[in-house]
Amino acid sequence: MTDSRKRTLALFYCRNVPGSSETDRQAIEKATKGQVRLFPLPCSGRLEPTHLLRALEEVADAAYLITCPEGACRYFEGNRRARKRVERTREIVSAIGLEPERVGIVIGSKESPRTLTQLATEIFDKICQMGPSPALRSPATEVSASDGRRNRL
Amino acid sequence: MITAEQKPIEEIRGMMAPYKRVLALGCGSCVAECAAGGEKETAMLASALRMAARIHDEEVLIHEKTVDRQCVKEFILPLDDIIHDYDAVLSLGCGAGVQAVAEMYQEIPIIPALNTEFLGETKDQGHWVENCLGCGDCMLYYFGGICPLARCSKQILNGPCGGSVDGRCEVNPDIPCAWQLIIDRLTQLGALDRLEAIYPPKNWARKQGSGPRKIIREDQQR
Repeated sequence: MTDSRKRTLALFYCRNVPGSSETDRQAIEKATKGQVRLFPLPCSGRLEPTHLLRALEEVADAAYLITCPEGACRYFEGNRRARKRVERTREIVSAIGLEPERVGIVIGSKESPRTLTQLATEIFDKICQMGPSPALRSPATEVSASDGRRNRL
Repeated sequence: MITAEQKPIEEIRGMMAPYKRVLALGCGSCVAECAAGGEKETAMLASALRMAARIHDEEVLIHEKTVDRQCVKEFILPLDDIIHDYDAVLSLGCGAGVQAVAEMYQEIPIIPALNTEFLGETKDQGHWVENCLGCGDCMLYYFGGICPLARCSKQILNGPCGGSVDGRCEVNPDIPCAWQLIIDRLTQLGALDRLEAIYPPKNWARKQGSGPRKIIREDQQR
C-alpha cells in the first residue's frame, strides 16, 4: 500500500477474522493514512446494504466486507446473509450507473487463513486500479459527519 | 398486510427530474414488513438517489424521513413542520399512503417509489404470497381456510378443474393446486360435505362494483 494512491476504501469486517484486534485496526488505518477506513462488526450478518451505500456516498471509492469462511460463522448463517446483502447492494450500485466492483465481499479461507492486514492490503490494491468514484461526495462540498446525518430527519 | 416492491431507480429518477428538493418518505408499517418502504429501504433509496444525482452532475437535495403509518392522518401531521421545505415528496408508502399524503398536502407533488402489489401472507423470510383478494364476502369457511379465488389460477368456486398434476396447478406448476389443498384440508377436518353445495358465481359488486369501497363504524368515530 502506498500513500500516493488517493483512493479510499471502506472495509467492514467480522471481528472473528484473524488479526482483527483493535490494535490491528488502528495500525492499518495509521499505515494507510486513513485511506482504508475499517469498520468492525460483531458478525458480518450485521451488515446492511445501507452501510455499504452510505460508505460509498460519504467516505469511500469502494466498500468491501470480509467474512469468516463458509460454514465457520459463529452465528451459523451470518456470512451467508451478508453475501446476499452485498449482492443486493451491487445491484443497486449498478442501477445508478456505478461499477458493481466498487462493492465486494471477501470470504475468508479455512485452509489458508489470512489476517485482516493481508486482506485489507489485497482489497485496497485492487480498488486502487479503479478510477475515483463519481458518486463520492467531492472534498469541495464535503460536510462534517453531523451534516451528513442531517439527510435523515 | 399490503405488499409492495420498489420501482426501478431509473423510473423514480425520471419522475423526480423536475424537482430539486425532495423528501423521501418511508412508512413503518406494511411496506416495512415486506422490506420495500421502511426506514432501512428509505435510507437505501435516498442514498442511491443522491449518488445517482452526483454521477449525473445534478444538484438535488434529498432528505429522508419515515413515519409509522402513511395511511393515517395523525401519523402524517408531524410533516407539517418540514414539508414546505421541499419541492416534492417521494413516498415509499403503499398506494393508500401515497394518496393520504397527497390529500393532506395538495400543493406538493407526490411521487410513488413503490408498486403496491397485493394483500400478502409472510410465508418465510423474504417470501410473501397473495392469499386474499379482499373480495368483501369471505367464503373461507366453506373451503377449509383456503381461498379458491386468490389461490386457484382459474378462480373456480366449484372445483377442481381436473387439470392438476401431482397436486400442482396446470396453469402454473410452481404453485400447488388450490383445490387439492381444499379437498385435503376438508377431508382432514371431516367436512368434505361442504363441497356438495353449488356455489353461485361470485358477486364482485362487493369488491369493485360501485367504486371505491369504504367502511364506516360510528362506534369508532368521534
